[in-house]
Amino acid sequence: MEKRDLVIRIAGQGGEGVISMGDFIAAACARVGQEVYTFKTFPAEIKGGYAMYQVRTSREPVFNPGDSFDILCALNEEAFEFNRHLLVPGTALVYDHADDGFTPVIPDGVHAYPIPMSKTAKELNSHRSKNMVALGALSVLFNIDEETLITVLTDKFESKGGNALEFNLNAFKKGKGLMDTVVKTDPWQIDDPVEPRDVLIISGNAGVGLGAIMGGLKFFSAYPITPATEIAKFVATHIPKVEGVLIQAEDEIASISQVLGASYAGKRAMTATSGPGLALMGEMLGMASMSETPVLVVDVQRGGPATGMPTKHEQSDLFLAIHGSHGDAPRIVLSVEDVNDCIHMTVEALNLAEHYQCPVILLSDGSLAFSTQTVPAPKPDAVRIVDRKRWDGLGEYKRYLQTEDGISPMADPGTPGAMHVATGLEHGPTGAPNYSASNHEAMHRKRFGKLSTVVDSFTPAQVDGDGEAEVGVIAWGSTIGVVREAIARLRREGIKVKGFYPKLMYPMPVRQYEDFARTCHKILVPEVNYQGQLSHFIRAETAINPISFTICGGIPFTPNQIMKKIKEILSCSVEHTTKLT
Amino acid sequence: MFCGTYNKVDMKPADYKSEVPVVWCPGCGHYGILNAIYRALAGAGVDPSQLICISGIGCSSRTPYFLHSYKMHTLHGRAGPVATGAQLARSDLTVMVLGGDGDGFSIGGGHMPHMARKNCNLTYVLFDNGIYGLTKGQYSPTSRPEMKAYTTPYGGPELPMNPLLYMLTYGATYVAQGFAGKPSVCADLIKGGLEHQGFAYINIYSQCPSFNSMDTVESYREMVEPIPKEHDVTDLGSAMALAYDSGRGRAPMGLLYQVSRPTLDERMEAIIQGVGGRADYDINRIIDQYRP
Repeated sequence: MEKRDLVIRIAGQGGEGVISMGDFIAAACARVGQEVYTFKTFPAEIKGGYAMYQVRTSREPVFNPGDSFDILCALNEEAFEFNRHLLVPGTALVYDHADDGFTPVIPDGVHAYPIPMSKTAKELNSHRSKNMVALGALSVLFNIDEETLITVLTDKFESKGGNALEFNLNAFKKGKGLMDTVVKTDPWQIDDPVEPRDVLIISGNAGVGLGAIMGGLKFFSAYPITPATEIAKFVATHIPKVEGVLIQAEDEIASISQVLGASYAGKRAMTATSGPGLALMGEMLGMASMSETPVLVVDVQRGGPATGMPTKHEQSDLFLAIHGSHGDAPRIVLSVEDVNDCIHMTVEALNLAEHYQCPVILLSDGSLAFSTQTVPAPKPDAVRIVDRKRWDGLGEYKRYLQTEDGISPMADPGTPGAMHVATGLEHGPTGAPNYSASNHEAMHRKRFGKLSTVVDSFTPAQVDGDGEAEVGVIAWGSTIGVVREAIARLRREGIKVKGFYPKLMYPMPVRQYEDFARTCHKILVPEVNYQGQLSHFIRAETAINPISFTICGGIPFTPNQIMKKIKEILSCSVEHTTKLT
Repeated sequence: MFCGTYNKVDMKPADYKSEVPVVWCPGCGHYGILNAIYRALAGAGVDPSQLICISGIGCSSRTPYFLHSYKMHTLHGRAGPVATGAQLARSDLTVMVLGGDGDGFSIGGGHMPHMARKNCNLTYVLFDNGIYGLTKGQYSPTSRPEMKAYTTPYGGPELPMNPLLYMLTYGATYVAQGFAGKPSVCADLIKGGLEHQGFAYINIYSQCPSFNSMDTVESYREMVEPIPKEHDVTDLGSAMALAYDSGRGRAPMGLLYQVSRPTLDERMEAIIQGVGGRADYDINRIIDQYRP
């Protein structure tokens, strides 16, 4: 039987064309109406080293890279060895065989297709066309629409000029020809074309950049850091088109300082970094809280602490994002679950910063950073832009005027009659320093109090499922995509499970957490960090006592891991959780 | 963007005084520098509502409170990058940075070369009193060698740094030095900085009668030497030769260096022009690049 949900893993050496092969397959699938989720690992080296690109494709939305792969295309022996333990019975293996290729011992039950990729490429006088030979073979074996693939290749290579297109198409066709005598024994097929939807294929990092541009960003200060730098690349390319500016700063402290200055001067401003950069920004985030200046920081989390595992996935900056500053420094912390969120939550994050005049930290992660996904093409005209409240020009201007909602009108420099100081010293309504007990308390109430309406200003969390459930799963960030799939599969098995997916991490939507918990017998919180950081906040701020389930091996959860854990909880006679009533 | 050009207005020095009373120790050199800033602003004819003054932390970083302008009192060492962001966001405005030697060259020292290299369109007035005054007298990056102070009871172990040479080395396009006891000279140098397109750095020696007994008004008067009239301000080598000797022993006073080089905001503007940037750019053109 053919399968509707397919995972193809291409593995080889950096520089062998693994990434472009994956991109071509992903584009071809998306063009025939399939949903796509790609996942790749780069070698630490620029050339050479193990590289992997995985394409998951289905007619239904896909939220994660999948448990494992169905098809492995190994371009060299090392790539085969790397993945050998995952070659379970039933998987298909396509590998480079014969001259310059290799002859593996095929694990039991694996459908093996030895293809002379290197040899064919050599006959074409170019080892660089090996990936195109492989692509040709894969297209025949797994029903990748040929016509579509050819248009994808044409779009890619035509612009390069010379004979690039002809050369690559020729190798592709040679690869196809190699399959004439091969008998297919495995069941794997990409679905037949359906009506294509209006989609983009875009990575989480580019998604953040796109959201920023759509959200009216005018200033970005960058400092290179893995895995966030691609955001700056996107913004650097496109922001001048909307009359905005990107500069690269000397360090992250300078980045956030420049953002603060630009925002004070009246422009929507942001930076993007990873955990080490966010740690350096802590003091200035407090300055933004104190001076009530809108700033947005996107933190693409990676394995920590210290230099940690820069290219690996982790969700371990929640403590830092929520509390990373001295003093009582209020901010808004958001998280994203997928690439679509990267686009739209970045718009929202800019709006929230402007409206509430405070720092906003948007948490993405290493898994989303480089993953590309099909997302509905966003409509820039439909984007809602919220600007900061500005002084109406009447009466005496007071920058930190106490108002009912705690939000004081701002005045752009250059406005006659509203000259004022924005300051990091505790201050009274005019900005003049004031260290009295009553003033400090009143100003704290203002700065924290104004955030009380954040929870009502957008959907702070999603609930997946209704009614009562045996287990409720609370997940954040890209773990949500894994949990969604685990829950869907368990439901098909007749198990009652629900999901709760907060996007507003702070201030915590306590009522929503507790309402959800009331409908579940047990609460499970899976997250990719050692300490169970969200569990910690749940225990601190709500009446829920969740079961924390943490992994921190530098890779995301798989749906199977979550399913297994839920079943384990269900079979456990000990009451982990007191159900809220 | 309107890079660095502004409409001059007719103002008097007193028009730049805010209602906040000026509070420094009696005899502090900063009073003289503040006075020079008022005069420089009036001389340059900067509209107070079109002026942003940004400071970090320290005695001299209080200065924005005493100025009638837009102002930001930020964190220790970070005035420079905050000002850089503000200036790029509103390059039609005049942006000044006001602060001390510890703020600028110790905690904020990492930012200094980059403002100079980038040729940020800022006027940076550094109140150089060779001491941390606000924290009651610790040796600073410009203190005399072997200074005995709060944390150095047996003498400081470091060599003083040379702000002028530093700024020239990293590409500042306007470098000058004054002394608080000569407010007219300082006013002229600051005015020149305000009118200069690019990164203007003005180092001003200032006495701290409370905590720095090694550097007094008298000792400064003896050590400052006006720069000879024949000095060519466009010659980096001569400027560096003057700066090379500068320190708390012998200090050239006046304009050392001034050249024209594209400013950071001009370069950003050129990029925007180059890509045909416009506020109503159709973002769908960017989105189209990500269709499969």
